[in-house]
Amino acid sequence: MSKSGSLYIERESLFHGLDGSIKLLMLIAWTGFAFAFMDVRVFLGMVLVGLGILKLSKLPAKAIWPLFAFIFVFTLFNSVFLLLITPEYGSKLTGSYTGILRLGFYSITLETIFYCITLSLKYIAIMPITILFIFTTHPSNFASSLNRIGVPYRVAYAVNIALRYIPDVKTEVDNIINAQEARGVAFRKGDAGLATRLKNYATVMVPLLLSSFNRIEVVSNAMDLRGFGKNKKRTWYHRKNYTGMDLAFAALSFAVLAAGVAIKITVGAVYWYPF
Amino acid sequence: MYTIIAFISFCGKGEKIMNGISGFFQSVISREGIIAVIVAVVLCIVIALLNKKKGRHMSTKTVVAIGVGAALYAALSAISIPVGPNTSFRIAIALLPIFGAFFGPTAGFLIGFIGHALNDAFMYGNVWWSWVFLSAIMGLFGGFVCFDKKFDPLNGICTKVHIGLMYLWSLIGMFVGSVIAYLGDVYLYSEPTEKLFVQITLANISNLVVIAVIGIPAVILIAKSKAKNQGLKKDF
Repeated sequence: MSKSGSLYIERESLFHGLDGSIKLLMLIAWTGFAFAFMDVRVFLGMVLVGLGILKLSKLPAKAIWPLFAFIFVFTLFNSVFLLLITPEYGSKLTGSYTGILRLGFYSITLETIFYCITLSLKYIAIMPITILFIFTTHPSNFASSLNRIGVPYRVAYAVNIALRYIPDVKTEVDNIINAQEARGVAFRKGDAGLATRLKNYATVMVPLLLSSFNRIEVVSNAMDLRGFGKNKKRTWYHRKNYTGMDLAFAALSFAVLAAGVAIKITVGAVYWYPF
Repeated sequence: MYTIIAFISFCGKGEKIMNGISGFFQSVISREGIIAVIVAVVLCIVIALLNKKKGRHMSTKTVVAIGVGAALYAALSAISIPVGPNTSFRIAIALLPIFGAFFGPTAGFLIGFIGHALNDAFMYGNVWWSWVFLSAIMGLFGGFVCFDKKFDPLNGICTKVHIGLMYLWSLIGMFVGSVIAYLGDVYLYSEPTEKLFVQITLANISNLVVIAVIGIPAVILIAKSKAKNQGLKKDF
């Protein structure tokens, strides 16, 4: 994480040139489209297109791969959990039972394994555009793009403040925990039991809150002095006019979203099983 | 819907699939449909209440409180004590009833929403929207204790009734939020219902523990520290 608390990486690419609000629109459309399906073929296509988009955005692979590693681990755990709780769920949907593993009552079917793969791909398919939005949108542009898409500017500004203060607050938390540890309060595994450690975090919470309330007081006074919230609308320093490329991607997003919603309403996310 | 069933049955699987799929959809419509309607009604009531209670827009202080609260949520999300499979005590959850109590339901809702969404996106590059709503609704209901105009923890006013109310609203918020997370995961992410049930139960138990041990006690402690000095009595 950089000093500004965001993951923004400066590059010269088509997607860096797009307005933040358009990328947000793309994110919404892409996610909505993924929600409309439960079909491996669609998700594979989305993953490939998504990876292509990331390639075009010229983001360094080093920044992105940890996220992919995480999602991979997450989906693996999720699948194991799913297989533990509902080993025959896929068969319930398809109606065909192809047993793979039998242990008394418990039997995993091939249909469920395939279902897990589909579900994991769904999570991975949603990912690229989220990454694109986070890594290619300047944090100052973040709030204005939210506002442009219809979020009230006070809420958009709250998001901006959150982004701005994440690093500061992180140091604050670390300082307080270190101070308490220096006094002998146990936070680490092995120092004390689970209940004690949990209780000890209450001793972090109160000073953290009091310092946060101070911070809120100072910042909101400063903003009031500068006349924040006086008008119904506000202008944004980082806002540019839409280009042709922006409009093209906006149209594309609307089309994709409409297609997704239409499919969801008429068909529903039906699980596709080839065998 | 029917065209698809016809199409699938045409593909050669026949009766079994048709029964399977239509049975599945009927169960969805009957049980979860009713829950969805209930949730929608509850949300409408909540929004109507909020509009009545709130003025036209937020104060600057609330805006900043939301920002700092969301930043805190994201920062504290790094701290979690794992307990058992797929569950951990997440300290950040304690912030929802706290900030709700100090700054009202709107702030609680937005802190949960913004904090959870930002943290998900930055840490994992993927936002689980249904669970974002669970956090947001917990914050919203955490703020309902402010409907009592007397409640003012920053000036030390927090009676036993208020403490009970905080616990009650937290529980209700968890329930409503869970229903929404459940529906979201079932309809949008197509997760299996039984698995979700287990997951949400585990999550709620750990959240409840965090709120009961850290969240609400913190509000009480701050209220106590701000209380007016009761040491002097008037002698007549």
